[in-house]
Amino acid sequence: MTFLHPLALLGLAAAAIPALLHLLERRIPPEAEFPPLRYLSEAERQSARRLKLRHLLLLLLRTALIALIALAAARPLVPAPAPMGRAGVHPRTALVVILDNSVSSGVVVDGRPVLDRLRAAARSSLAAAAASDRLWLVLADGIARAGTREALLTTVDSAGVSTRRLDLTAAVRDAARLVNAEPLEAREVHVMSDLQRTALGPGRAGVTRGIRVLVLAAGSRVPANRGVGSARVSDGAVAASVVGTPGAGAVAVTLRVRGREVGRALAAPGSAVSITLPRVAPGWWVGEATLDPDELRADDRRVFAWRVAPPARATASSGAGPFVAAALAVLEQGQRVRRGADVVIGDRLEGGAAVSVVVPPADAALIGQVNRALAARGARWRLGVAGTPGSIAASSVAGIDGIQVARRYRLDAMGEAGSEKGEDSTVLARVNGEPWLARDAGVLLLGSRLDTAWTALPAAPAFVPFVDALVNRLARGEAPVSEVEGAPGVEFRRRGADTVGAIVSGPDPRESDLTPALPAVVRDVLGGDIVDAAALAARRFAGAGHSDASGPLLVLALLLAAAELGVATLTR
Amino acid sequence: MADTPRIDLLDPADVARLGGIEIVAEGVVEGFLAGIHRSPFRGFSVEFTEHRAYQPGDELRYLDWRILARADRLFVKQFEEETNLRAMILMDASRSMAWRGAPARLTKRAYADRLVAALALILLRQRDATGLITFDEAVREVVPARVRAGQWARLVRGLERTPDGRGTAAVAALRHLTSLLARRGLVVLVSDLLFDRDLALTALRYLRHRGHQVIVLHLMDPAEAELSGPPEVRFQDPESAASVVVRPRELARAYGETVRREIAAWRTMCRRHGIAYHHVLTDLPFGMALRLLA
Repeated sequence: MTFLHPLALLGLAAAAIPALLHLLERRIPPEAEFPPLRYLSEAERQSARRLKLRHLLLLLLRTALIALIALAAARPLVPAPAPMGRAGVHPRTALVVILDNSVSSGVVVDGRPVLDRLRAAARSSLAAAAASDRLWLVLADGIARAGTREALLTTVDSAGVSTRRLDLTAAVRDAARLVNAEPLEAREVHVMSDLQRTALGPGRAGVTRGIRVLVLAAGSRVPANRGVGSARVSDGAVAASVVGTPGAGAVAVTLRVRGREVGRALAAPGSAVSITLPRVAPGWWVGEATLDPDELRADDRRVFAWRVAPPARATASSGAGPFVAAALAVLEQGQRVRRGADVVIGDRLEGGAAVSVVVPPADAALIGQVNRALAARGARWRLGVAGTPGSIAASSVAGIDGIQVARRYRLDAMGEAGSEKGEDSTVLARVNGEPWLARDAGVLLLGSRLDTAWTALPAAPAFVPFVDALVNRLARGEAPVSEVEGAPGVEFRRRGADTVGAIVSGPDPRESDLTPALPAVVRDVLGGDIVDAAALAARRFAGAGHSDASGPLLVLALLLAAAELGVATLTR
Repeated sequence: MADTPRIDLLDPADVARLGGIEIVAEGVVEGFLAGIHRSPFRGFSVEFTEHRAYQPGDELRYLDWRILARADRLFVKQFEEETNLRAMILMDASRSMAWRGAPARLTKRAYADRLVAALALILLRQRDATGLITFDEAVREVVPARVRAGQWARLVRGLERTPDGRGTAAVAALRHLTSLLARRGLVVLVSDLLFDRDLALTALRYLRHRGHQVIVLHLMDPAEAELSGPPEVRFQDPESAASVVVRPRELARAYGETVRREIAAWRTMCRRHGIAYHHVLTDLPFGMALRLLA
């Protein structure tokens, strides 16, 4: 049983009033002389049983009367079948419907996408809402859309399979916070999801008391699925990983470049294949790794992009230090770098270089000289005062995150020089939140010398790849090929007429594993009850299809009042 | 005379404010006798004693026709007592008698004093030897039955000397006073009868057995007949200090039935043993109370 005005239940305390009055009234009665006490005692002895019964009856009647009135004021709702043509009454509810239309909801089971079943359930919940309810709809993008019942029903109807992954744990957590902030009598979260185990994020939803989370049970049949988890180009080959339902058989991975098949290999979920790419001309290239179609089509194709370019012509001056020279030698040996002066790494600006990678000079007295040269080059950044030690944080350079920096100069920005000229002016790495590696006007400026006395980077395995990225990519102003969640595709980043990077989009690989989470895990993580569609219909809105019992209670209270009056007067 | 209100028919409390016991009793008796057409009590003898002027209501058979014929004046003949009626009034002076249910009413004791004085006056005017015994837990005052002059004044003083309610009316005292009534006669018990009925009846039966004519006047304050009061009250018995907490409203009906049952029991038992029983409420005019005895 639920109540429309639960605060009125505090009135139940008033039911104790008759008993309290009875006790208080008896406490200090006035005294009076009365000689015929023997008659009184006799009358009382004869009436004792009747009076005791009368007192008890009156006490019960009055207590029940007050309790009934308090209950009626709280507007109790009792389960009752709704009359034909009328929606059941339910307490005003703040409801969030989470419709998980993520990639995995597109899987076809028994000839129908799972999303159809989820959409029907979401539609059913929203359709049962009343005008006084507060409603939100959360789709795979995680955005809570507030709206009227009709507006949200329209949104549900138009919701297709999204290219996004939904973190159910976070969605339920946010939804619970949302409804918890509403001062309504009931708060519910309905989760319509295929409940794949990878949809549950870290931690628990932490649903507070008083919020009902009803989770639609997963479908009884889950097909085995395989998808392309990733496809990345490295050293002239594509490394493609296959993901999906554990135990599913191997599947053929086909590689295509510009529509032409260039390779094929077999891989099972959890494994990866490497397929060599044909030699191609310098420039940006796009390819795709595909699988044979299965029940979930959205993850059967993944696009990849790569750039083919000649090795950079780089050299290190004596001021760059021995570690840089050694790294360049290794890269040269691997044909990643050729000897030349297009990129010069040193502790001063070299006049003939197209791009200079400048490290601070070992002698602090030369800082001013370097800064003047930077200013003359039109670079925005200067070497400033000594900064505090810390670790490197870099998004555009792989592998150097977290490496310690013991000594560094702060990099100070001077005006808007580079960006105003339409050139790239970017902070590529930071230490303690302050710029550590910055690019502007053909100059890459480092806050530390690439020496183990300054930073642990030269001793780290990532040092050679870092120098490789420095001369082959960062010096040219290129951004890395980044991957984002979305429909399979590529978007190139351009600066002027040059293509400087690419963003490859594809579904989250976790969406490929359709294995449903164990019910116990769902209950534990989401803090809700797993119900089938019929049970959801019966239990939503604190069990919609309730009727207001206050009317019958008031009638009963009236009858009790009449009975009380009768007992009080007739049994005197 | 018709214009003068008869005080015997007025409210006893109002009448009591006219003066002391003697004045009130005389006034009551005058009014009572003036309104009655024949002497209320037996005791008129056939032996002539004197004449007195005729008063309206006197029986014509006592008219002296010879004086009427000779002097054309109306005189009636009065006769000497011949039956030697001895009346002894036993008055309960226990503590419960000193109670009244409302300030505007007389206490049972005050009512009894005036009623007893009036009754004694009537009896003495009939030349019946009249005496008085007052008692509570013991016999307090004894005025032997006489018919001589000044007897009524002695009786009134006896009433006045008896203090208000010292204790309970004990049956033992009742038994003791039966031994004081050696000669047969009329015994009038004036009491609220708040003592053990069976034991009291035993004493009264004994008197009856000794040949006495017994009359019981059961005095009761109207507040004792119908229970009322605050919603809840602790009632205390002034004689025993026992107490009981009751809600008068819810016990009123049962109490009223108990009182009526008690009165009926007294009446039945008295009738069974040849004892006259009269229930008198203290707001009953004295004249009407005396009429009960006529």
